[in-house]
Amino acid sequence: MSESSAKERKLRNPIVGHIRALAKGFKYLVEPNRMTLDYPAETMKLPPNYRGFFTVDDKKCIGCSMCEMICPPQAITMIPRVQVQSGQTVPEGAGQGKKTKRPVVNWGRCIYCYFCFDICPVDAFVPSGVHDLAFYNDKDYRPSYEEYLKPPEEPYKNSKKVVSRPDLKRGVGYEPAP
Amino acid sequence: MSERVYNIEEAPNIDVSGDRYIMLQIGPSHPGSGHMRIKVWLDGDIVVKVDPDIGFVHRTSEWLSERREFIKAIPIVERIMLPDTIHANLSYITTLERLLGLEAPPRAQYLRTLAAEINRITSHLYGIGIFGIFLGSSTVYMWAFGDREPFIDLMEMLTGARITYSYIIPGGVRWDMPKGFKERAEKVLEYMEKRLKDYDDIWVKNPVVQSRCVNVGVIDKTNAIRLGVVGPNLRASGVYYDTRKHDPYAAYQNVDFEVPTFKNGDAYDRLLIRVEEIKQSMKIIKQVLKDMPEGKIIDEGTYKQLNPVMKKVYDERARVMFPAFYNHMRPQPGEATGRVEAGRGEIFFYLRSDGGKYPYRFRWVTPSFRNLPFFTHVAVGYRLADLPAIYGSVDYFPPEADR
Repeated sequence: MSESSAKERKLRNPIVGHIRALAKGFKYLVEPNRMTLDYPAETMKLPPNYRGFFTVDDKKCIGCSMCEMICPPQAITMIPRVQVQSGQTVPEGAGQGKKTKRPVVNWGRCIYCYFCFDICPVDAFVPSGVHDLAFYNDKDYRPSYEEYLKPPEEPYKNSKKVVSRPDLKRGVGYEPAP
Repeated sequence: MSERVYNIEEAPNIDVSGDRYIMLQIGPSHPGSGHMRIKVWLDGDIVVKVDPDIGFVHRTSEWLSERREFIKAIPIVERIMLPDTIHANLSYITTLERLLGLEAPPRAQYLRTLAAEINRITSHLYGIGIFGIFLGSSTVYMWAFGDREPFIDLMEMLTGARITYSYIIPGGVRWDMPKGFKERAEKVLEYMEKRLKDYDDIWVKNPVVQSRCVNVGVIDKTNAIRLGVVGPNLRASGVYYDTRKHDPYAAYQNVDFEVPTFKNGDAYDRLLIRVEEIKQSMKIIKQVLKDMPEGKIIDEGTYKQLNPVMKKVYDERARVMFPAFYNHMRPQPGEATGRVEAGRGEIFFYLRSDGGKYPYRFRWVTPSFRNLPFFTHVAVGYRLADLPAIYGSVDYFPPEADR
């Protein structure tokens, strides 16, 4: 069990070793084992549980601030809103109704841990399925509530959508998304 | 193959002042897998003293965690050891569970083991890849980083993230195994088994690698124990010690695996041991997938506190939502320790609660930090040209040591 089980290594004969290394190298030169994706001509369709950008269901949210409390990087801010008769919320002063709050995420701070998803007592957060967004300036990081409600627009819409699959030859292969 | 000129016992006592020795600075801008400065004193081209100057990537993880709720420390500890996030997460949660008096159900324990072993493979492949680029082989660097991809893909399927999983929570795990995961994992393992033979030919048993690594950076058993080395580096010196065997956590007492050890304790053995551990991890993953018990993935007490909406989500999507008490978790006053065998060695955790919202003391020691004394001694007596081989073989990760 203990020390006696220590393995004795076997060193390979240098001549055999060089030949085998060169042969293997030649094999992969002829038949490369490529697993990269031709981004952005091809983009990944991510699994449904992938943690990317997300938005909130305005009608479902009850404004309890639990997400703001649990957010580890303090990316969530609660904005004061007024809930009108239809269940939608409007900015303060724009309508009559119940005073409430709604979360807004600062994308510059968010770490996509999805703790807010899990603490939400009404399951109001909605994943958008988008993960590859870039922001051009500091302002875009911090959307207003109305901007935050709209699901982020997916870049490279015309690209070929693929999903990954395990491949015995290449490790990761890609096939067209269903 | 070099012979050692200075002995590691006498080396710390050598007076390096004066004209005989020159001091060379390696770093601090990213000499390896992170920012660190290595001060090397040379006698000709023989290394007589090594002083790793750490702290360039110190991120105050302990200080930050002591000023936040208990649950918020999960993302913080993960960001310290990025190639190995599950183990950081697991060690923290194991300790926190002891403080809270929770115990995860068997299925959650198995899922933790599964995630930890997949992560160990990616961590070792990362180490092997970095070692490759140190010795000038960009082939194996690309190969190893490429072959992490199938495993990262698996973790993406399981947790929804590629690196920072935040998967393990007090009392269980956040997501159950999705449909088709088992089949996919089996295919990935089959691929990797085949691929490891290619690694043997092109890298591990390549005569170039052998001539650069064999008998370079030798640490014998006595010195390895004396210097407090942990993890694969300790086992490469022939010491049979693995926290998974000696202090089992998660489901490790139920799986059958070997702890590979080697005799020589040189750079080549430290490379071989990582390859062997990848094989053992694959063995564990196979068993875990086969023996995965049915049942809940969160403990009964936490499940009872979920509201009806959350229970519905749990039943429909096998996703655990957090009960409200996660926001203000207040463990009983007391202290707890935990140990976990991470990819690079043992993580030690100490948590103390005074009954308040935040941890009173949050202390953790990471494997790379414990390998630092080893690092100061291992290169002494070898040539400067051997230093990349030695540094690469230690699999040292500066952000992890600095915390």
